[in-house]
Amino acid sequence: MIELENLTRKFGDLTAVDNVTLKVNKGEVFGFLGPNGAGKTTTVRMLCCLISKTSGKARVGDFEVDHEEDRLKIRKMVGYLSGDVGLYENLSAYKNLDFYGKLYEVPSTEREENIKRLLQLVGLWERKDDVAAGLSKGMKQKLAIARALIHEPQVLFLDEPTANLDPLAAKTVRDFILELKKEKRTIFMNTHNLAEAERVCDRIAVLKTKLVGVGSPEDLERNISRRKTVIHLESIADSVLAAVKKLSTVKNVSTNENKLILDMDNPEKDNPQLIRTIVTSGGNIQYVTASRSTLEDVYLKLVEEA
Amino acid sequence: MRFRKSWIVAAKDLHVFRKNKYILYSLIAMPLIMGLLIPVTLIYTLQAQAAVLTQTQLIESATLFVNMFSSLFVITAVALPTIIASYSFIGEKLEKSLEPLLATPTTDGELLFGKSLGAFIPCIGATYVGGLIFFILVDVWSIINFGTLLLPTVYWALVTGIVIPLACVLSVEANIIISSRVNDLRAAQQIGGIIVLPLLLVTLLPSVIQILPMDTLALILSGGLAIADIGLFYLSKATFQREEILTKWK
Repeated sequence: MIELENLTRKFGDLTAVDNVTLKVNKGEVFGFLGPNGAGKTTTVRMLCCLISKTSGKARVGDFEVDHEEDRLKIRKMVGYLSGDVGLYENLSAYKNLDFYGKLYEVPSTEREENIKRLLQLVGLWERKDDVAAGLSKGMKQKLAIARALIHEPQVLFLDEPTANLDPLAAKTVRDFILELKKEKRTIFMNTHNLAEAERVCDRIAVLKTKLVGVGSPEDLERNISRRKTVIHLESIADSVLAAVKKLSTVKNVSTNENKLILDMDNPEKDNPQLIRTIVTSGGNIQYVTASRSTLEDVYLKLVEEA
Repeated sequence: MRFRKSWIVAAKDLHVFRKNKYILYSLIAMPLIMGLLIPVTLIYTLQAQAAVLTQTQLIESATLFVNMFSSLFVITAVALPTIIASYSFIGEKLEKSLEPLLATPTTDGELLFGKSLGAFIPCIGATYVGGLIFFILVDVWSIINFGTLLLPTVYWALVTGIVIPLACVLSVEANIIISSRVNDLRAAQQIGGIIVLPLLLVTLLPSVIQILPMDTLALILSGGLAIADIGLFYLSKATFQREEILTKWK
């Protein structure tokens, strides 16, 4: 549904997006992670035909973003939630949606139905006549998402949909995105929130100007950050620590209370020798577990190495 | 270009302007002041001459003054867009609503025309309200004093029907261009004020210069304004850069 091939955008000497190649499948919820200034918003803006690319290719549906005749078609088939909600504060919730419905050429009857359905979905139907200025931050964010959906777009671009929201409002918005996921829409979501990405997204890409990793959260956790061996001891004696550190197979050792946390290249092969060493050096092992790295570990590793 | 799209943008702007007290008060105050102040000044001037002129001379003098003072309504038509049109893009920027708007399937031309229309309608409407007050007061006064109507005159009809709308369009377009290129509302209004000043002087020329008959000068001026209006619309289309607005506006 969305294809990027060596997509690059420069602002003068600054390269904001550098040779990004990726593909987002139809019906997929795709998370775009990256630190501030990584090029996430610039990428989305290029895909929504708001700004042009410097080089490479980008395609949304059957349309090329740099073809003049395709730009209006792309804008018509996508919904876009910008970083700022950008509602008309003096207009009511209903009128905000109605205005965009008209601009997206949604026929009158369908528009009325969509507005009602969406406002009910985001829990704002009772407040449809309230001006946007009178709504809370979370409500505004939900209204802005409803606005992006007013024309039933095939593709939805969400730029930081839960940024600056309190945890409860963020959860409501997240739940709403999960509802949209059930409708099999293609969703491309920029976010800083790793837990949110893990919960909502089918696949994730990490961007730091260049694409530094892409895959499902599970794949990234499995492939990019290694699992660690955690050994729970009765107590950690200096002799045990010294013996473990001497092992060439152990890349890194850290301790946490009575736990030894060991980073190894091949834990399946090297754990037996490790355990023997601990036992012979006087350690009393209570149990051995493997720690799974989190998406946060993966993200930090990818971003730091980039 | 789809005019329906432009009208949607214009209708939304009109709705937003109605809710903006600063704009609303400007739209009410300026025509009221002009509509009342100009006839009062005119009547005061003519009454001062009444002692030294015959009735016929007084009517001739009054007609000349009425024509000259009609031109002053160009001030309203040119000045109001510096308040309203300058708000059109900067207002969107202040509400951070420009990015979602630019992401909709509207062309630059449709957006610019819609924004221009949204600013033009209240400006011209307010100017005509002021003009109507002027018209009524002058004619009531002339009926009472001369037993005849001073308005309408050919020159008044030319100014009201052609010069004022064309000057208003020009001012709207100039202010829309400024609004799409600067970051600050006050800066836009100040630049707009400076830019429309020469326009104002030119439109007032027929009432000051006596080289040609006033009606002829008004027609020449109308032709010039029409050409300038068309030129400025294409200039605004050529200089309207969505990308620049998004990437350079902070």
